[in-house]
Amino acid sequence: MPNSYNSSPYSSRSESVRAELSEIDTSIRSAAIFFVISAIGWLMLGTVFALLAAVKSHSPDFAGAFEFLTFGRVRSAHLNAMALGWASNIIFAVGLWIMARLCRAPIQHKGILLIAGIFWNIGLTIGVFGILSGDMTSVEWLEIPRYATPLLAFSYALIGVWGVIAFRFRKGDHVYVSQWYILAALFWFPWLYVVAQVMIIWFPARGVVQSVTNWWFAHNVLGLWFTPMALATAYYLIPKVLGRPIYSYYLSVLGFWSLAIFYNWAGIHHLIGGPIPVWLISAGIVASVMMVIPVIVVGINHHMSIVGMHKQVWRSPTLRFVVFGAISYTLVSIIGSSMALRTVNEITHFTHFTVGHAHHGVYAFFTMIMFGGVYYMMPRLLKCEWPSAGLIKVHFWGCAIGITIMVVALQVGGWIQGMEMKNAEIPFLQVVQNTIPWLKARSVSGLFLTVGHCAFALNFFWMLLAAGTLRAKEGPTLFANKSKEISVG
Amino acid sequence: MDAESYTDLVPLIFMGVVFFTVAVGALYWSSKRGQLRDFDKQARTIFTDEEPEGEVSDSFPENNKKL
Repeated sequence: MPNSYNSSPYSSRSESVRAELSEIDTSIRSAAIFFVISAIGWLMLGTVFALLAAVKSHSPDFAGAFEFLTFGRVRSAHLNAMALGWASNIIFAVGLWIMARLCRAPIQHKGILLIAGIFWNIGLTIGVFGILSGDMTSVEWLEIPRYATPLLAFSYALIGVWGVIAFRFRKGDHVYVSQWYILAALFWFPWLYVVAQVMIIWFPARGVVQSVTNWWFAHNVLGLWFTPMALATAYYLIPKVLGRPIYSYYLSVLGFWSLAIFYNWAGIHHLIGGPIPVWLISAGIVASVMMVIPVIVVGINHHMSIVGMHKQVWRSPTLRFVVFGAISYTLVSIIGSSMALRTVNEITHFTHFTVGHAHHGVYAFFTMIMFGGVYYMMPRLLKCEWPSAGLIKVHFWGCAIGITIMVVALQVGGWIQGMEMKNAEIPFLQVVQNTIPWLKARSVSGLFLTVGHCAFALNFFWMLLAAGTLRAKEGPTLFANKSKEISVG
Repeated sequence: MDAESYTDLVPLIFMGVVFFTVAVGALYWSSKRGQLRDFDKQARTIFTDEEPEGEVSDSFPENNKKL
C-alpha cells in the first residue's frame, strides 16, 4: 500500500508544481462546489419525482388528487431535473475541473462562472415549476416551457465558454483524450439545444421533420453530451488513480474520433416504423451499429488498463464507481446497437425495455462515473478527507443493487411485454396488467437508489461542514493530519 | 410523405453535413498539430510531480488513517 501522504495532492516535494495544481484547484473551487451542491439538490428532487412516477405507474391512484402530481407532469419533471439539473450541473463541476487541470490553466474571473451557474439553476427551477404547473411542451426531452429556455441557453453559453477558454490558454502542446471529449461536448450540447429549440419550438418545421429533429436531439444529448463527459472522466480517473497510463492511447483516440464522426446519425433509430423516409432510418441503423466500434475500443482499453490491479479498484471509492460505469457503458451500448436493428426493435419499441435502456445508460454508466468523479475531486478541492467510508459503501451498494434491479426488471418485463403485444390473441389490457409485477420491482429499485443518494448527500454535506470548520481552525493549506506529518518529518 | 416534402429535411441533412465536416476538420487539425504521434508520451501527460506515475492516488478514508 503506497503512502497516502505522498500519493495525495499538495504533497509534492516541489513547491512550484504544488502551487500550480493547487492554484488550479483553488481557482475553480467555489464554482465547482456550487455546481456539486446544485447537482445533489436536483438529484434528490429528481429522485422524489422518480419515486412518484414509478409508484403511479402500477398504482395510478397514488397521489392522484393533485393536478401537479399527475403522471405526465411528474415524469417530465423527473426527466428534466435529472438531465439538466443533476447531470448537467455535475458535468459543469467535474468536466470543467478536469479540463482546467489537464490544460494546467486556472479558471479566471470565476465570479462570472458562478453567476452563470446561478442563472442556469434559476432557469431550470422556473422550467421545472412550469412543467409541474402544466405549461410543458409536448416534445420529449424539450418539455421546459419556452419562457425558461432562453435563460438556460444564455447561462449555458457563459458556463461552457470557460472550458473553451481553459483550452485556449492551455500550457503545453499535448491534448489528452479527455480534453478532446470535454471540448467536443461543450460545442455539441449548445448546438443540439439551440437547433432543436429553433426547429421545434420557436419556428416549428413540419410535423415529421419535428420528430426527426426531436430524436436527433434527444439521442445526441445522451451520446454527445453525457457520454463524452463520462468517458472523459473515466479516461482521466482510471489511469490517474491507478498511477498507470491508459493501456492504449491509440485506441482511446480512435474511439473518440469514431464517436465524433459517426454518432450524430444514430438517433433516428427511435423512429423505426415511423412515417419518415426509409433511407433516413436505414442510415440511423447503420450509424447505431457502427457505434459498436468505439464501444469495443473503449471497453478493451478500460479493461486492459485495470488488469492486474483489481484490488486497487476495490480499495478506491472513485474507481469502484467509475469501473461500474465503464462496464455498464459496454453493456448498454451493445444492447443499444442491437435495439436499433429492425427485427429487435419490433419487439422493444413502445415497451418498458426502452425505459430500462435509458436508465442503464444515464444511470448505470453516466451517473456512476460522475459519482466517482465527485469522490476524487472533492478531497482535492476542500483539502479534507471524506468523513465516512461506511456512507460511501452504502452509497455504492444502494446504487449498484438498485440500478441492477431496475434495468433487469424493465428489460425482462419489457421484452415479455413486447412479445405479448405482437401476439394478437392476448388482449391489450392483459398485456398491460402483466407488466405490473415488473413495475413494482422498479419501485423497489427506487428505494435502493434513494438510500444510496441519501448516503451520498449526507457524506457530502458533512464533509463540506467539516472542511469549513477545519479551515476556520487551521487555515486552508493542507490536510489536518498531514501538516503534522510534515512538521515531524 | 410526398416526394416534394423531402425538401423539409434539407436543413437537417445540412446540419448533419456541417457536423461531419467540423469533425473531419478537427481531426485534420489534430493530425497537423502532431496529436496523433508519440502516443506513449501523450498518455503520460496526466501525471505530475504531485500525482506521479506509479502511485495509487485514491483509497477509502479509513485506509488513510492507518498510515
